[in-house]
Amino acid sequence: MNNSIVWRSFSPSPGRRTALPFLPWVVAGYVCLLLPSLSAQSAYQEPDYSKLKPESGPITLEVWTWVVGLDKAAPLFEQAFPNIKVHINNVGAGPTEYQKLQTAIKAGSGGPDVAQIEYDFLPSFIVTDGLVDISEYGASDVKSFFVPWTWGQCSPDGKAVYGSPQDSGPMALLYNKKIFDQYGLTVPTTWEEFAQQAEKLAKASDGKVKLVDFVPTQAPWFIGLAWANGATLFKQNGDSWTQSLNSPECQKVLDFWAELIKKKYVATIPDFTPEFYTAVGSGQIAASIEAAWGPGVLAQSLNDKTSGEWQVAPLPQWSKGQPFRSGNWGGSCDVVLKQSKYPKAATLFSIWLNAAKGPVINNWTSYGIFPASLSGLASPDLNQADKNPSKFCAGQNVAQIYADASKAVNVDFEWSPWFAFVNDDYNKQIAALIAGAMTAKQALDAWQADSLKNATSDGYDVKGK
Amino acid sequence: MRRYRKTAYLFLTPFLAVFIAFYLAPVCYALYLSLFIRKRVGIGPPKDVFGGLANYIRAVQDTDFLIGLKNMFVFGVVQVPIMLGLAILLALLLHQSRGFFMKVCRTAYFMPYGIPTAIGAMVWGYLYAPNLSPFNQILRAFHQGTIDFLSPAIVLFSIANIVTWTWTGYNMITLFAALQNIPQDLYEAARVDGAKTWDIVRRIQIPLLLPTLRLLFIFSVIGTSQLFTEAFVLRPLGYLADNITPNLYVYLTAARDANYSYAGALAILLALLIFVISGPFLRRIASR
Repeated sequence: MNNSIVWRSFSPSPGRRTALPFLPWVVAGYVCLLLPSLSAQSAYQEPDYSKLKPESGPITLEVWTWVVGLDKAAPLFEQAFPNIKVHINNVGAGPTEYQKLQTAIKAGSGGPDVAQIEYDFLPSFIVTDGLVDISEYGASDVKSFFVPWTWGQCSPDGKAVYGSPQDSGPMALLYNKKIFDQYGLTVPTTWEEFAQQAEKLAKASDGKVKLVDFVPTQAPWFIGLAWANGATLFKQNGDSWTQSLNSPECQKVLDFWAELIKKKYVATIPDFTPEFYTAVGSGQIAASIEAAWGPGVLAQSLNDKTSGEWQVAPLPQWSKGQPFRSGNWGGSCDVVLKQSKYPKAATLFSIWLNAAKGPVINNWTSYGIFPASLSGLASPDLNQADKNPSKFCAGQNVAQIYADASKAVNVDFEWSPWFAFVNDDYNKQIAALIAGAMTAKQALDAWQADSLKNATSDGYDVKGK
Repeated sequence: MRRYRKTAYLFLTPFLAVFIAFYLAPVCYALYLSLFIRKRVGIGPPKDVFGGLANYIRAVQDTDFLIGLKNMFVFGVVQVPIMLGLAILLALLLHQSRGFFMKVCRTAYFMPYGIPTAIGAMVWGYLYAPNLSPFNQILRAFHQGTIDFLSPAIVLFSIANIVTWTWTGYNMITLFAALQNIPQDLYEAARVDGAKTWDIVRRIQIPLLLPTLRLLFIFSVIGTSQLFTEAFVLRPLGYLADNITPNLYVYLTAARDANYSYAGALAILLALLIFVISGPFLRRIASR
């Protein structure tokens, strides 16, 4: 099996393995991408970086990100801005990084200049007062270069801007066509069809192959599915909040899955673990509900095993004839810390990284980072049949499916500063659900109650809704 | 006499300086932090206001924390005797045997201790993964049901197994060294009196190992209270409760929830508890 995989605590963005074998390709890719922008005209629009003036003198920026291979972007930046050196540091994915970042902010030193933070965790850092409002350094002028709702995620109050959007994770159904053909399955367009196919596959394979994995330890995965069903979880009204983790929209989704779990039609393996990749790579799981960065991650984590067998289809819907809806899982922005000595240079790097053509295109084809840059999304260069994630999906235009999904995401979605707790507490309730100790309703009610209790004891004025 | 005392302090200075800077000072800071509670007004950084013992009162009513302490006691009661029992057994066996094989065994038993805790826990993480686990593959080969070593009901004991694997060798070596120190004439005298092997073990070796055992016991108890790494490393592989060990709970309160003052209070309480438990044993060792 693929024992080169070392698990990560949480990996909303690509990269489970070091990308050293790709290095020559990466460098070559960058060179190729730079050439056209110098010569012939492409439609790719980039901000006028000269308006984002960095501090003078030699500068070294410390950057924390868990996107494996992002260090390849540093030389390009250094070439364009010779006074600034960039040191990219992978201190762990998701919560592993956040815990270090929280500590550094509390300590007042030891943190980076720029750090990657997912949208759902951003408010827990905004309340520490440790992040720079980069609109002070001209970030507002580049707003029009990014997908509006991702910009909104970086700017919850619509005024202060706490980061530049790096990527988003609209959801779709990634399925293994070989397994689907083998068992005569059809690609489900509704959840009802989805459940029928799950049953059909479980019976035909004698329970050995599951349609998908119900991800038991990634709250944002479930939230993405609830999001696609019209759920919102948090709302800030002035100084107070409401939280609705057990809304009817959430419950409909979890009820549906609880039934499939009970009948053993779906697997319940924690994502981003050797166990999961082994199951997928050896054909025990026929499909996976993945965010836009998912196919790229999977291609990399499986070391291109089963490459070419996969296809992406739109997320199943709750009813036919309704407007198409999807949800979002993950997506990050790059923030600037107040303890940075060079907040202007850090702002410049954070915007350049996510708006410049070189890194944006290469991050998709090498690591599956689905761009938040509008020009990046529109770029035909995303569709390269001989490169992942398209190559992993037999040359399919994967970016197009996800771009359509992106348009179907409810953009009015807020997070809360106590989300780190909410995120972990989900695992507790789902473990009880899977063990049969709780119903879906009980699990969601407990999730809501635990999270309310935590937020209240931490001084938030929050009510359940 | 005074002069000697000065000299003693001079030699102690390097230790004391580091001890105060990196041990006592942080403890005092945690104590100071623990007296504050957070007040929030709107979105923005919370204000720390003096709360007296509010955090401590919250802690003793915090069922999650209390369950964490219960886990710690269950762990200690089950794991420490198993580990020390195994260590005694192995030390006695090694003491009996001679030659190359003994040396190989000694090294092999001791080796896990040389592996960094995090690495050891990762390796065990693979061994525990339900479908990848060789234990489960063996069970399947005999048509038995498989075990989910990472399931909430079992995982505490899976962690205990890792700790036993790591530390039995260390304890064994310490006991083995103590056995080497038992004077040969005691054995000879026993043999002359007609003592069998089992009598020697029971009446000579075990009693003379007691001081060492007591020390190892106290180290093990303190080690139990500090359990963190194994749980932290296994956590991403499945659901491990926040309070599977009290230390993990304290860590998450601080680093995840950014509630440093409450985490400070929890840490101080935990330290006091360990002090109360281990104090009498330490005093007995010191009085010898």
